[in-house]
Amino acid sequence: MTTTTAIQTVDDTRTRVTNLARIVSRMPRSAWPLLVFVALFLIGGLIRPGLLSIDSLIGTATFAMILAIASFGQTAAVIQGGVDLSVPNTIAFSALTFLTLIGPLGPLGGLIGALLGGLAIGLMNGVIVAKLGLTPIVTTIAMNGLLFGVLLLTFKNSELTVIPHLLTQLTATKFSLFGVKIAAVLPLGLLLMIVLQLILSYTGWGRSLFLVGSAPEAAKLAGQPVDRIRIAGYALSSVIAAIAGIVLVGFYAQASATMGADYLLGSVAAVLVGGASIAGGRGSMVGTFGGALVLGQVATLVAVANLGSNIQQLIYGAIVLVVIALYSRRARD
Amino acid sequence: MTLPTAPSRAWNAHGVTRLRREGAVAPVAAFLVFFIVYVIINPGLLTRFQLQSAANLVVPLALAALGQLIIVLVGGIDISIGAIMSLSNVVFALSMEHLPVPLAMLAGIGAGLACGLFNGFLVAYLRLPAIAVTLASAFIIGSITREIMDRPGGGITPAFYLATSGELLPYLPISIFWLAIVGVALWLVLQRSALGRHIYGVGSSADSVRAAGLNARGAQLAAFALSSVIVSFGAIMLAGSTITGDPRSGDSYLLSSIAAVALAGAAFTGGRGSILGTILAACTLGLVGSLLFFAGVNSYWQYVISALIVISVVGVPVIWRTTYLAIRRVRS
Amino acid sequence: MTVLTADGVATPVAAPPAPSNALLVVQNLTKHYGPVVAVQDVSFYCLPGEVHALIGENGAGKSTIAKMLAGAVVPTSGSVTAGGIALVSGRIKDARLAGVSCAFQELALVPDWTVAENLALPDGAALRGFSQRKSIHAATALLAGLELDHIDARALVSSLSLADRQFVEIARAITGAPKALILDEASSALGPPGVEWLFRRIRELTALGTSVIYVSHRLSELAVIADRGTVLRDGRVAGEFSRGNWSEDQLISMMAGREASKAFPSSPPLPVSSKPDVLRIENLVAEGLNGISILIKPGEILGVGGLQGHGQRELLRALFGATPASASKWMLGGRPVRRLTPVKAVRLGAGYVPEDRKVEGLALELGVGENLLAPWLKPFQRGGRPRLASEKTWISGVIASLSIRTRGPLENAGALSGGNQQKIVFGRWTDRSRTLILLHDPTRGIDVRAKQELYKAIIELSRQGVGVLWFSTEVEELVNICHRVVVLYEGKIADELEGDRLTAEAVVGAAVGVASPGVSQREIS
Repeated sequence: MTTTTAIQTVDDTRTRVTNLARIVSRMPRSAWPLLVFVALFLIGGLIRPGLLSIDSLIGTATFAMILAIASFGQTAAVIQGGVDLSVPNTIAFSALTFLTLIGPLGPLGGLIGALLGGLAIGLMNGVIVAKLGLTPIVTTIAMNGLLFGVLLLTFKNSELTVIPHLLTQLTATKFSLFGVKIAAVLPLGLLLMIVLQLILSYTGWGRSLFLVGSAPEAAKLAGQPVDRIRIAGYALSSVIAAIAGIVLVGFYAQASATMGADYLLGSVAAVLVGGASIAGGRGSMVGTFGGALVLGQVATLVAVANLGSNIQQLIYGAIVLVVIALYSRRARD
Repeated sequence: MTLPTAPSRAWNAHGVTRLRREGAVAPVAAFLVFFIVYVIINPGLLTRFQLQSAANLVVPLALAALGQLIIVLVGGIDISIGAIMSLSNVVFALSMEHLPVPLAMLAGIGAGLACGLFNGFLVAYLRLPAIAVTLASAFIIGSITREIMDRPGGGITPAFYLATSGELLPYLPISIFWLAIVGVALWLVLQRSALGRHIYGVGSSADSVRAAGLNARGAQLAAFALSSVIVSFGAIMLAGSTITGDPRSGDSYLLSSIAAVALAGAAFTGGRGSILGTILAACTLGLVGSLLFFAGVNSYWQYVISALIVISVVGVPVIWRTTYLAIRRVRS
Repeated sequence: MTVLTADGVATPVAAPPAPSNALLVVQNLTKHYGPVVAVQDVSFYCLPGEVHALIGENGAGKSTIAKMLAGAVVPTSGSVTAGGIALVSGRIKDARLAGVSCAFQELALVPDWTVAENLALPDGAALRGFSQRKSIHAATALLAGLELDHIDARALVSSLSLADRQFVEIARAITGAPKALILDEASSALGPPGVEWLFRRIRELTALGTSVIYVSHRLSELAVIADRGTVLRDGRVAGEFSRGNWSEDQLISMMAGREASKAFPSSPPLPVSSKPDVLRIENLVAEGLNGISILIKPGEILGVGGLQGHGQRELLRALFGATPASASKWMLGGRPVRRLTPVKAVRLGAGYVPEDRKVEGLALELGVGENLLAPWLKPFQRGGRPRLASEKTWISGVIASLSIRTRGPLENAGALSGGNQQKIVFGRWTDRSRTLILLHDPTRGIDVRAKQELYKAIIELSRQGVGVLWFSTEVEELVNICHRVVVLYEGKIADELEGDRLTAEAVVGAAVGVASPGVSQREIS
């Protein structure tokens, strides 16, 4: 596993731990959601043996990867001690900017424009939180509202259905690997995850995000530029949300002002289930992907059992509750 | 935000001091400016019909914002506020099909109260973070709501519309009257009962409240319960004014209730926030859209302008202070 | 004052059975926090109308005992009875109902409540009316009755000075005529008139038959007020005393114990250095600071003394750039400073060991290694494990030289004991070419061995030519180790002591606003 944050030490309980318990308690946090996913996958196989197939796995993983890409940015925001509720409309903003700009500027111009837009949003979020002292929730909710207005004002009548071929190829096209059909978004997302995880774990900036999230006052008094680290954290969050917007355009071949709505609570849920602490200082990209896998497998099971999307939401809520209760218990021990 | 001047005796009178302490001077001033601008652009506001529709627009938001304020006072935040609102809206509308009004109201408020107690128990007694708990319960409550009723409907009668959204007296919309009753009752609870002061105290410093031998967790639970009752009342007012129950009716109130509390100058760390400020902040934010409509501006601007109002209420004093210090440094 | 030797240390006394008329009886009280033993087998009793002192060094377990008596902390084992009623529930309300009230050391006042609210609200049920006007009248009358007219009942507690907050806390504890009153370091922020006020109140209460538990580490007060007392060391009873049969020297050696008897190493001679002054600041003004001028030479250990809340925290934070401050002249490491921020301070060679190691010092969820590296993380360099590997020599050097007891750089900082955590906050600045280290009471609440190791490390810094500014609440540390001591009083330097004038009496005298005899107070412009 690539995370160093998740290194848990056994403290007071050391007298009575068995070997197995020691292995379990030393397991990095990001491994938990992956384990739960495997368990859910096997349960799915018990309910309906057809679900125990590579194709079904790939299907769930693809769905989960889309959610994970939308949640990677949220992970960075949560680790540094905040939350980014402007993810949904940043996704929509970047998707629509991209589609508007590829006409005059071409795909690369569109991409750069969309990412710059995301960067600007993130910098504004960061500056308002760090310099003006408005709480992250309020700031990003206000930013989300502001972006919604901008979306409605700017893109109301555009023809936005022409998706560049290259983008579709990079995301939605299925290719065959050892006889398994895989949508291109899966390897793309995995690559993004690995790059981001390496940045988080092995660069000074990545570690300073954890430091600031875990103990902002201590970081300040150790001479770290806390404001700048925070701002950069929000910038990363929004840039990744912008990438997610473009990926969504490619994968679903459509875009609208409300296309990000599901990711408001969904991204936070994936991050929390992935083992991050809402108070900051904990979390990982791998864990977030694991969290998205768990939520994705739940969606698959709910669909198979024909329970409807309502029950799926209910189960999502219950999972988040159980996860935060478990993690906070472990943190207190 | 004001420079230190010699405060006059009248300025220090108790009510004003309290407003200032609770950060409500800015939203009160913002509302006055906004109201004057509104009346200049659209003198028609002061007609009976427009007053009534404006009041019906603003009152559910004001009640949702008051609910959010109470949670913010104990240092939390309620992501599930929209879901609670939808649930009691739907339960009330459905109950109206079979039950007399008082019982239906009781059912709606009871449903909301159950949600509040659920959240409050998890936050106060299991010590889970409010934002995460209410995020999860937003999922859960939302899906229960849509299980109960999946499309708008319910048995709300025109008579009930008149009782919640009609006129009490000419030029006095009845919804304002109900809001005033809730506002005064809440004021009595928060300012004139020991429990209310405990709620403020828990947000200010839970450890100190506990060290004084008080039941801090009980106060937290009470805050969640009180909040959900007020939100449910808002949901019933909303059902009355739209004459329907709608499983998505509460959704937009999550963001706008938080925005209103922020505009009201409440401290999101807890312990500080004013009822009057919150009501007026909700009025301001609720009427931005219709002001733009009357000013002939694309009403989509309301989202942008509301966000800018919230950010600038916090930002302007900070920028002002920084420049003031910079100027003083240059002079010396 | 001379350092005491091990001679004359009393051996611990077995707890005598409490007389039948004792009001408060504590038997075999024990408190463990995980593997850490805070209090072990402590027994004492207090008669009606008696003042019983609990004394001991920082971290000896006094506050934990006070909290257990008040019901704020549940004992692991042992019993407390007040007037025949057993108190073990760990609920403050139960203790209050049994007539035990406490003025806590960490002030238990709600900052956003007014004085009147803080005085009125703790009594009675939650579901009852509350009137601001009535509570203000009652509070004003109460404060007037206690000779505290200068405190405005309408003021928010957060707007009061530390001393006034302590007055309000004490006033709250003595309203309702408690049967037993616990005063936990109640005089820590009070000057001499305040302490006299406190003693008058205590005498009034004891005249009515109230038992008072007086927790303190100020020995001079005990001679005036204590009837009997218990000395604590490392969570255990080290000895007992009663009025008239003790001397300060005896108590000090009981408190310090054999191990710490030759407690203080002496400071190395100041090197004659051609290097520029480490810090030269004139007329420093900030919130709570009113015109402070300080000069520190390379290798000099400058002590800062004074009562709590007289500007020490503000001074250290201002010198590190953590709070806005301005000065007419400000040189750090020979370079002029205009607006200082912590980032700039670290770049100019400063290091800071803050007051609260758990909140201001460490990221408890991160590893020991990363906490040591916290000031040295740079965005575009390596971090995490590769960085730990490349800094291995430095990290293990720090761990070894400070004897930090840890299972390695990957262990969570939160899992370490207080002393070892403090060493990490300190150790991150060692061997990093610092010119000035600011220390905020680094030895507070840590065990004797860790203290010794920190003393050694501070002296080593001085030998290397690093300037040290050291605020300590232990007068003995200032007197024995520092080259020079400035004492703060109400945000100003009340006195500067050096050489023969540097005595414990002089430091204490200046701290309460009295210049030491025969010497005129230094004029600070």
